[in-house]
Amino acid sequence: MADRFTLKKLSTSRFLDSTLIITISLLIIFGLVVLFSVSSYDGSVTYNDSMYYFRKQITSTLFGLVIMFLVSFVPYHFWARLSGLAYIFAMVLLFLIIPFGTEVNGAKRWIKFMGTSIQPAEVAKLAIILFLANLVCRMGSAITTWKGMIIALGTSMPMVLAIYIITRNLSSAIIVFGIAFIMCFIVSPDYKKFVLMGVFLVAMCALAVYIVVRNKDGAMGYRGERILAWLDPNAYAAGKGFQTLQALYAIGSGGIFGKGIGQSMQKLGFLPEAQNDMIFSIICEELGFFGALCVIMLFLLLLWRCMILANNAADLYGALLIVGFMGHIAIQVILNIAVVTNTIPNTGISLPFISYGGSSVVSLLFEVGLVFSVQRGIVVRDS
Amino acid sequence: MKEQYPQKQFAKFMRKKLVVLFIIVLLLFVFLIYRLYSITRDNGDQYKKLVLAQQKYDSVTIPFRRGSILDTNGNILATSEKVYTVILDSVALNSDEDAIEPTFAALKSEFGIDTAKVRDYFEQNKETSRYYILVKKLPYEKIQNFIAMQNEDNSLIKGIWFEEEYQRLYPGNSLACDVIGFTTADDIGSYGLEEFYNDVLSGTPGREYGFMNEEGTLERTTISAEDGNSIVTTIDANLQAMVEKYLKKFNDEYADNFHTGNGANNIGCIIMNVNTGEILAMASYPDFNLNDTRNKDALIGMPLLDEKGDKVIDEETGRRVYISEENVSDIEGDALYQNYNALWKNFCISDAYEPGSVSKPLTVASAIECGAIKGNESYNCQGKLEVGGHEIKCHNTYGDGILTVAEGIERSCNVCMMYVAQAEGVNNFTKFQHNFNMGLKTNIDLAGEARTASLVYTADTMRSSELATCSFGQGYNCTMIQMIAAFSSLINGGYYYEPHLVKKVINSSGATVENIEPRLLKQTISQDTSDMIISMCNQVVIGEHGTGKTARPAGYIIGGKTGTAETLPRKNNEYVVSFLGYAPADDPQIAIYVVVDRPNVRYQDDAKFATKIVRNILTEALPYLGIFMTEELSVKERAELEELKIEITTPAKPEETEENAEGENQDEAASETETTEEIPENPNSEIWKTFEIDPETGYAIDPNTGAYVDPETGATIGGSFSDENEEESTESEITDITYDENGNQVVQ
Repeated sequence: MADRFTLKKLSTSRFLDSTLIITISLLIIFGLVVLFSVSSYDGSVTYNDSMYYFRKQITSTLFGLVIMFLVSFVPYHFWARLSGLAYIFAMVLLFLIIPFGTEVNGAKRWIKFMGTSIQPAEVAKLAIILFLANLVCRMGSAITTWKGMIIALGTSMPMVLAIYIITRNLSSAIIVFGIAFIMCFIVSPDYKKFVLMGVFLVAMCALAVYIVVRNKDGAMGYRGERILAWLDPNAYAAGKGFQTLQALYAIGSGGIFGKGIGQSMQKLGFLPEAQNDMIFSIICEELGFFGALCVIMLFLLLLWRCMILANNAADLYGALLIVGFMGHIAIQVILNIAVVTNTIPNTGISLPFISYGGSSVVSLLFEVGLVFSVQRGIVVRDS
Repeated sequence: MKEQYPQKQFAKFMRKKLVVLFIIVLLLFVFLIYRLYSITRDNGDQYKKLVLAQQKYDSVTIPFRRGSILDTNGNILATSEKVYTVILDSVALNSDEDAIEPTFAALKSEFGIDTAKVRDYFEQNKETSRYYILVKKLPYEKIQNFIAMQNEDNSLIKGIWFEEEYQRLYPGNSLACDVIGFTTADDIGSYGLEEFYNDVLSGTPGREYGFMNEEGTLERTTISAEDGNSIVTTIDANLQAMVEKYLKKFNDEYADNFHTGNGANNIGCIIMNVNTGEILAMASYPDFNLNDTRNKDALIGMPLLDEKGDKVIDEETGRRVYISEENVSDIEGDALYQNYNALWKNFCISDAYEPGSVSKPLTVASAIECGAIKGNESYNCQGKLEVGGHEIKCHNTYGDGILTVAEGIERSCNVCMMYVAQAEGVNNFTKFQHNFNMGLKTNIDLAGEARTASLVYTADTMRSSELATCSFGQGYNCTMIQMIAAFSSLINGGYYYEPHLVKKVINSSGATVENIEPRLLKQTISQDTSDMIISMCNQVVIGEHGTGKTARPAGYIIGGKTGTAETLPRKNNEYVVSFLGYAPADDPQIAIYVVVDRPNVRYQDDAKFATKIVRNILTEALPYLGIFMTEELSVKERAELEELKIEITTPAKPEETEENAEGENQDEAASETETTEEIPENPNSEIWKTFEIDPETGYAIDPNTGAYVDPETGATIGGSFSDENEEESTESEITDITYDENGNQVVQ
């Protein structure tokens, strides 16, 4: 069965994969268009410049594209030597937040460096891919054991905890752990371990929700409130449920074909973080269910193509780099859409390539560069 | 390099797992797509409405500026000023921790806000509250500094913004309060000009809203508010202030005199241009501060009303209860509304009362005009007249003897008037009353004019006895504005002008929108009759026996007629005294009417309470109006004018001539001696002059009855025109016009 997902025919490997290029280009262009539409109101109100967010985002994107091309021409094994360094670099960045971080909306998540804000959590996502791909390759068959598994996952834990404790950013921590989890899942031949772990995680979540609901009237911090707001957003409409409700209003009011690009009403100051975590709901409002479907299809196409490329990668390391990227994209897209549709409690997760955020788009394009680099190494096998 | 790394392959099982992963992701995507679809399907319509409902908050109404009310010289009587309400946006302030302290510090230093309270509110609501009113209605000067601080570079003041609105201001406070009226909180006029001209003064509110244009940028569109028009009134603020000064002076003099309470239940004054109908001043006391209309202290001194608007009578003493500092706080609910209504209404147009003798010129004018008398007839007054089975008394029950019609006016003889009215008959009398607009509204441009149609007799309802009493102004009711408008036509050659207060409407940039010209409604009497009435009324002030001598201001000759009307129930010693005059005497330009409703004295039936006010007002007003003095001034008068800093416009006379001159002043000063001189000449007709003078009150005492008698006119103090048996059939006492909740007039 797996052979069906191998490349039957690949154009000369000197060139980049056209399907991937088109998909990535569409996502970037679409993302910029939507971002401009969503952010122009906030930009003109807050900064008296409707192009404010768009301009910053396009700068980051162009910078990211340059990085992407550079990385795509670098043989990917180069990064194996730097994997440990990448891990340490990401950790240092995270710890630099403590003295130098800038606070926005009550959370320290950014550090200013030469006039640009960098979000270390985004760098960490890239670093964990580079690091684990190399680690797993080196471990060889040791990964198949519980012990190996725990070591592989365990090495990601310092980073996960650093993100959660320093930046109070649960979603990024989850994503980093999720990437590690998926990479381990792929290289381990059995399913039992993962099913067990999955069941354990789901049980823990259920328990947490149960405890929160039982102590409804007690004090339990904002995470508890978010869980209650998730269960009944209308009851918390003025507080934690506000953003979720506004996102739902946006999705619902869009209908099947939407109000048309630029026609969103919810972006006019009603939906907080419309250009960030909630951008998908504005896509639903402006382009409707149909537009949202197209976006999801683009991501699926991207994942599918990555899968093909991973399956044809020249070696395990290259394949794992792609798997890491796939995991990164898949987790963020799923969690982001789950949040805006109130399927899971509200937590800040951006939509790859579309949400506003320079660090995110540069990291992602770096990863795309890695994918291209791996793709270059694929040798066409004659059938 | 590559060789250094283990070239492990992506094993088959790994590919398989990758496919499994992809399928899991695919399933999750499908699930999320279903979620999206179900939200759109189940809640789409509901959310569409909610989104639209939220949008409304993004548009802002821009208030219009209500037009000003100006006096005849352009002085501001009422205006609207932009004021700013300070709003705290806690969420915005909370977004910048460094800004919290500087912002609170600035609020305290600039607005004197109790920051402890605001801080509590902020701490509790910093994540939700975006609108919290800190201070209301500050003028621009008070927020200027704060705005400058806000606009500094790197300003640490956050989350404070200002909401604009207009506030109605009355720079004169209580000046012309009854005429101007005021506005309610939503800028709708209430009472007076504010109510009558509400549509003119009001503008159209504007609107500001945001939308995304085709390029996707936000555009704010503003439909600016259209400001209201301003009105220029005929009121002269200086004249108005003079009038109010002397009404107040009278009140201060007589307040708490005989009983607790104001100097009189009501004191009203109108000054009118007799040739145009323009009201130059209109005032009544008690007054109130237009900038603080609901201040209960203004009610103190007024008769207390119950929740139905009836005057409260003390059960023990049987006397009216007046509002005092002790009981003012107890007034609540409907009763408070009734009392406020009594304060806010304009006595000059809203209260109807029996005018009394000031109506005598109307009686004579109508009789002459219809040809019933020539004006040179004489009648014998024996102190009373038997009409329709009733014995109707004169003020002077001893009888004035034989009097001409002119002397009847001069001495204010009731009997004389009854003969005149009998001569013209019921039909003519009622026809002319109608011509003089009695029973009709004058349609003055003020809100709240009383209807008096039910308070006058018609030809069908008037019997001989009513004709007799109406001839001297008892038995029917009118308002001050009706009386002065009718009287003005008597002295201006017979032209009845509609009284009015507004002469021009101008728009917000000052251009004239409409000129309001004097409206001549009808000719009531001929020029000849008018001339005769003027000469008769002049005698009231300058004649030897004139009842209105005390109304004459220094340096001028004026004419007019006094009035002393009994209120209902009769014989309770309560009177409405008045003087209705004009100046100058030979060519009337202005008419003045002062009514004192139940002065706060033991013996109320003395027109001097009104004539003194008239004299005080005219002493200042006539020079101000540019009317030249014609009479010589006595030393005393000269001193009086100098004290008032009034320019003396009469040619100065040497002192000797002054002393030798036989001016009116001597009459006044020598009235005592005159009395004794006249006794032998006319013993029968002026018997009251032989009576002993009570040293305490200055009145003569009738040895037969013990009653006090005015030593000059012979009028019995506290007397009544009606006989004992007269049934109380005529209309009520002073009619209070009030408004029900819908703003309709209610005549009680």
